[in-house]
Amino acid sequence: MLEIIASPISFFILLELFLIGAAGSLVLRKNDASANVWSSFFAIAGSLWGLLFASAILISGQALSFVAGTSPFPLLSLAMHIDMLSALFIFIISLIALFCSIYGIGYVKHFYKKYNIGTLGFFYHLFIAGMVLVVTASNGIFFLIAWEIMSVASYFLVVYDRNDENNVKAGFLYLVMTHVGTAFIIAAFLLLYKYTGSFDFEVIKSAVTFIPSSIKNTIFVLSMVGFGVKAGIIPFHIWLPAAHPAAPSHISALMSGVMIKTGVFMMMRLFLDILQPAPVWWGLVVLFVGATSSLLGVLYALTEHDIKRLLAYHSIENIGIILLGLGSALTFSSLGMLPLALLSLVAALFHTVNHAIFKSLLFLSAGSVINQMHTRNMEEYGGLIKYMPHTAFFFLIGSMAISALPPFNGFFSEWLTFQSLFQGIIALDSSARWVFILAAGALAFTGGLALTCFVKAFGATFLARPRSAEVSHAKESSFPLLAAMGALAALSLLFGLFSGPVTLFLETIGKSFSIFQSAPSLLSLPRGHVLTVGSGFASVSGLAFLVLFTVAIFIVVWIIRSAINKKQKIKIGATWDCGTDLTSRMEITATGFARSIVLIFKGVLKPSIQHEIEYHDAETRYMPKSRTVILGVRDVHQAYFYRPLHKVVATLAEQTKNIQSGNINTYISYIFIALLIVLFATL
Amino acid sequence: MLTLQFFLGVVFGTIIFLHLTKKNFGVALAYALQSLAITAILLGSFFETGNISLLFIALLVFIVKVILAPLFFIKLIQKHRLLFSVSTYLNIPLTLIIIAILSFVANSHKLAPLTGIIPANHTLLSLALSSMFLSLFLIINRKGALSQIMGILSFENSIVAFTIFAGLEQSPALQLGIIFNIFIWLIIATVFMSMIYKHFGSLDITSMKHLKD
Amino acid sequence: MIILIWTIQLILTPVVSPLCIGIIKKVKARLQNRRGASIFQPYKDLWKLLHKDEVISSNASWIFYYAPFIIFAVTIVVGASIPLFAAFLNNTLTGDMLVIVYALAIGAFFLALAGMDTGGAFGGFGSSREMTLSALAEGGLIFSLLTVALISGSTNLFAISSSGVFAQDQHFLSALLALCGFFIVLLAETGRFPYDNPDTHLELTMIHEAIILEYSGKRLALMEWASANKLLIFIALGVNLFFPLGLADNGGVDAILIGMAAFMVKIFICCLIIALIESSMAKFRFFRLPDLLLVSFILNVVALSLIQ
Repeated sequence: MLEIIASPISFFILLELFLIGAAGSLVLRKNDASANVWSSFFAIAGSLWGLLFASAILISGQALSFVAGTSPFPLLSLAMHIDMLSALFIFIISLIALFCSIYGIGYVKHFYKKYNIGTLGFFYHLFIAGMVLVVTASNGIFFLIAWEIMSVASYFLVVYDRNDENNVKAGFLYLVMTHVGTAFIIAAFLLLYKYTGSFDFEVIKSAVTFIPSSIKNTIFVLSMVGFGVKAGIIPFHIWLPAAHPAAPSHISALMSGVMIKTGVFMMMRLFLDILQPAPVWWGLVVLFVGATSSLLGVLYALTEHDIKRLLAYHSIENIGIILLGLGSALTFSSLGMLPLALLSLVAALFHTVNHAIFKSLLFLSAGSVINQMHTRNMEEYGGLIKYMPHTAFFFLIGSMAISALPPFNGFFSEWLTFQSLFQGIIALDSSARWVFILAAGALAFTGGLALTCFVKAFGATFLARPRSAEVSHAKESSFPLLAAMGALAALSLLFGLFSGPVTLFLETIGKSFSIFQSAPSLLSLPRGHVLTVGSGFASVSGLAFLVLFTVAIFIVVWIIRSAINKKQKIKIGATWDCGTDLTSRMEITATGFARSIVLIFKGVLKPSIQHEIEYHDAETRYMPKSRTVILGVRDVHQAYFYRPLHKVVATLAEQTKNIQSGNINTYISYIFIALLIVLFATL
Repeated sequence: MLTLQFFLGVVFGTIIFLHLTKKNFGVALAYALQSLAITAILLGSFFETGNISLLFIALLVFIVKVILAPLFFIKLIQKHRLLFSVSTYLNIPLTLIIIAILSFVANSHKLAPLTGIIPANHTLLSLALSSMFLSLFLIINRKGALSQIMGILSFENSIVAFTIFAGLEQSPALQLGIIFNIFIWLIIATVFMSMIYKHFGSLDITSMKHLKD
Repeated sequence: MIILIWTIQLILTPVVSPLCIGIIKKVKARLQNRRGASIFQPYKDLWKLLHKDEVISSNASWIFYYAPFIIFAVTIVVGASIPLFAAFLNNTLTGDMLVIVYALAIGAFFLALAGMDTGGAFGGFGSSREMTLSALAEGGLIFSLLTVALISGSTNLFAISSSGVFAQDQHFLSALLALCGFFIVLLAETGRFPYDNPDTHLELTMIHEAIILEYSGKRLALMEWASANKLLIFIALGVNLFFPLGLADNGGVDAILIGMAAFMVKIFICCLIIALIESSMAKFRFFRLPDLLLVSFILNVVALSLIQ
C-alpha cells in the first residue's frame, strides 16, 4: 500500500488534480459560485493527496527518481527526484495549501461580481502545481521552467485586485525583481553546465570535483543573490512588502508561508547537497545575511502601520532566522563538525515548518480583519476583539507563536537555532566565533523586538476602543475562515507540544543528505517528551511547560475565586479619563507605540518628522488653526542601493540609445561590420 | 572558364557602375545587365552538368530578373519622376577607395577558407565575394530608396554567383526560393517606397530620422 | 520528604516575594530618615486588595480579565523552575535558561496587552515603554545567562548553580562581567531605578505602574504580587547562579535548612543593595536607558569572548 502511494503514478495524480482544478476553473469562469466550488474542491483534494503522498515517502524513507517523459530538446529532461527534503517541502506546501483553500471557500466570496473567479482558480492551481514541481525537479532547465510557472502565476495572483493601482505597481515590482533573481539563477546554472557538462542535478553532484574553486565561489554568490531575491533577504527584499499585501489574503499566506521557502529549499539543496565540500566563508556569509535580515526585518516591521506589510516584514525576519540555522550548518559541515551541522540543519528545517504554519495563520486572520474593515491601515482598527472574538483569539495564538513564546511551536525552533549557535560559540575559534556571537545577539534582539511588534499589532487592531466608525460594522468571520484559522492555531500548539518527536523526525530527514549519512546525532528524547541536546547540555519539554502552566493557572484561579474572594462585586465603569470625555484619540496608536524603538534605532531606520502649522491669522501667528505632524521612515534601500543602481543603468541606456540613429544606412553598416567581424573571427 | 570569369566580371563591373552612376535609369539598366550575366552563368552551368531543371531556372531568371524587374523599376521611376538618384554619403574618390579596400579584403588570405571551397574556382569565388561586399556597401552608402533596393537585388545576384561557383546551387529549390524572394521583395519595395513618398514627399530615406524620438 | 521539598520549591516564590518588597521599602525609608512601614506591610496590602471590590473599564476585553491570572501563573511556574535553595532538584523539563527568559516574556506580553486593553492614555504609553525596554533587555539577559552557561557547560539552571562560576580562576573575569551585565538587566526587567520608579504613579516616571493603573481589587493584588515574584525570581537567579553558596545538594533536612537560611540571607543582601542604589541615584531619562542596556549587552559579549 505504501509503495503504491509513494510512487511516480501517485505524483502524477497529484499534479493532475491541480491541473484539472486549473482547467476546470477556467471553463467554469462564467459562473462565480461554481468556479469557486470546483477550484476549492480540487485544491483541497490535491492538498490532501499531497499530504498523503509526502507522508508516504517520508515514512518509507525511499527517494523516488524518475523521468516524466521524453522531451524533444536535448538539454531538457523531465527528470524528477523526490527525496526526503523534497517530500518535506511537498508536505509543507500541501498543508498550507489545504488550509488556505478551506479559507478561500469563504474568502473568495467577496470577489464575486467584481473579478473573474475562474481565472483566480486557474492561477491558484497553477501556482501550487508550480511550487510542487519546483521542489521535485531534478534537471536545471526543468527547474527553471517550473520556477517561471510559479513566479508568473503568482504575479497574476498579486495583481488580481487590479482596481487598486498600487496593487498593479506592486505586481510589476515583483515581476521585475523575480526575473532579476531568475537571471542570476540562470547564470549559476550555466556555469554549472559549463564545468560539469550537464543540467541534471544528480550528474552535477557527482561531477562537482571538476569545478574549480573560484567558479564554485562565483556560483555561490550568484545563487545566493538569485535565490535570495525569492527568499526575501535584505537588500533584495523590496518586492516582499509591496507584493504580499497586494495579493488576496489566502494567496499572501501561501506566498509568505511557502513560496519564499522554495528559495531556501534550493539554497539547502545547492549548498549542503550539490556543491559540497564548501569553504567556511560560505556559511559565515549566510549567517551574516541571516542576522542582518532578521534584525532589519523586525525593525522595519516596527515602523509599519499597514498590517499586511508588517506581516511581510516579519516573513523577512523569519527567513533570516532560517538562514541562521542554514549558515551554521554550512559552517560546521565545512569544518567537519558533522553532528553540530546536523543539529543546525534540523533547527532550520523546523523553523521552516513552524513559520509556514504560524505565518499563514497570521495572514489568514489579518485577511479576515481586512475583509470586514476594507482597509489595511491599523490606525483605523481598534476594539475588534468585541466584534470578532474568534479571529482575535487565533491572531493572538499566531502572535504568541511568532514571538517564540512557549509552549507554541515558534519557541522550539528558535530554541534549537539558539542551541546550534551556542554550540558554535563553544566549539569554534576566533573569527568564526565572533560571527556566531553576533548572530546569537541578533537572534536575541530579534525575539524581543518581534514580541514588541506583535503587542503593537494585536493591541492596535483588537484592543481598546474603535478608532473609526467602520469597526462597528465588523462581523465575525464565516465558518470556512474560522475553520482554517482554528486548524492552523491547533497545529501551532501541537507542533510545540510534540516538538520532541517532530525534531527527531526532522533529523532523519537531515540524515538523508549524503554528507550527513553517518553523522552521530546530538538530539535525544528521554521520557518521550524532553528534547535534549548533547548529553544534557540543554533540554526542554513543551508538554511539561504547558501542563505546569495549566495546573498553576487553575490552582490560582480556584484559590482566588473560592477561598479568598467570595463576596466581591465587579463594577463596570469607564477608563480613567482625567475628567474629559473619552475619545478614540486618547488611546495609543500603532505608530505611537513603536515610535520609541524607531527613535532608538534611528541610525538604521532614519525616521523623519515634519511639523506644519496653519494659523488663524497668518501675519500675527499667535493662534494655530491646525497642526500637522508627519512622521516618516526613510526608505534606506531605495535611496542608497536601488536608486543609484537605477541611475547607472538608465545613464548607460541613454548613451546606448545613440546607436539608434533612425537611419537605415547606419543600421546596414552595422550589419556589414558585424559580418566582417564574424568572418574574420571564425576563419 | 574564361567565359564564366567574363560574366562574373560583368557582374562585378555593373556593381561598380551602380556605385558611380547618378541617373536612376542607368541603375535599372545596369541591373538588367547584371541579371543577364547571371543567366548566362546559369546557362553555362546547365551546359556543364546537363541538369534540365537548370535550364528552366535560367529561363525563369531571365524573364523575371532581366525583363520584369527592370521594367517595374522603370515604371516606378516614371511614376515618381525620379530621373536623378539622390546623393551618397561619401564622395566619389572615397567611395572608390573603399571599393578597392573591400575587394582587397575579399581576395585576402584571411578569407581564404571561404574562397577556397573549390580551389579551382578560387579567383571566381573571391570575385563573387567582393561583389557581395560591394553590394552591401552600396546599400550603406546611398540615400535613395531605389538604390537600396538595387543594392539588395545585386547582393542576391552575387550570392547566386557565389553558390554556383562554390558548387552549392545544384538544387533547383534554391533558385526557386530566390525567385520567390525577389517577388516578395518587389512587393515590399513598392509598399516601402510609396509609404515614404506619401509621408515625407521624397524618397530620401534619411528623412526617416524625423521618426526618431 | 521529597514531596515536601517540591512543595516548598513551588510556594517559596509567592510566599517570600512580598517580603523582598517590604525590605526594600524599609531600607529606603530608613535612609530617608523615616521609620517606614513594617516589612510585612506588603502582605497586609495584598490581603486588603484581595478583599476589595473591583471596577473594570467597559472597554476591557477578556485579555484584561485574564491577564493577571496568566501573568501570576507564569511567575509561579518560573519560580518553581529555578534553583532557590536546592541545587539537586534536577529539573530538565523547564529549567533551561531560554525557557525561563521566554516564559517571562509571556508575562511581559500579556502585561503590555492588558495595558493597551482599556484604551487609556497612560496604559498605552506604559505598554510601549515596557516593551521597548523588555526587547532591548532581552539581549543582555540571554547573553549573561549564556556566559555562565558556557562556563559551567550546560544551559540548565540547576546544573549551572551546581558548579560555581566564580570557582574557576580562568573564568573569573568573565563571570564578573556577566554579573555586572545581569545586574543591569535585573534592574530593567523588575522595574527598579534607574528604569522605572515603583513608588510613584506619575506618568513621567512610570512604566509598570502605568500599565496596572486601571486594575483594582483582586486583579491588582495579583499584578502587584506577580511583579514582586518577578523581582524575587531575578534576585534568586542572580544570587544562585553566581554565588551558589549554601545551596542544598542533597535532600537531608539540615542541608535544606541551611539552603533556606542561605537563600534568605542572600535575598536580604541583594534587597539591601537595590535599596541603596535606589536611594542614591535618580531615575534616568527614558532615552538614556537603551544606552545602559547596550552597555549590559556589550559587557556580556566581552565576557563571552574571554571564555576560551
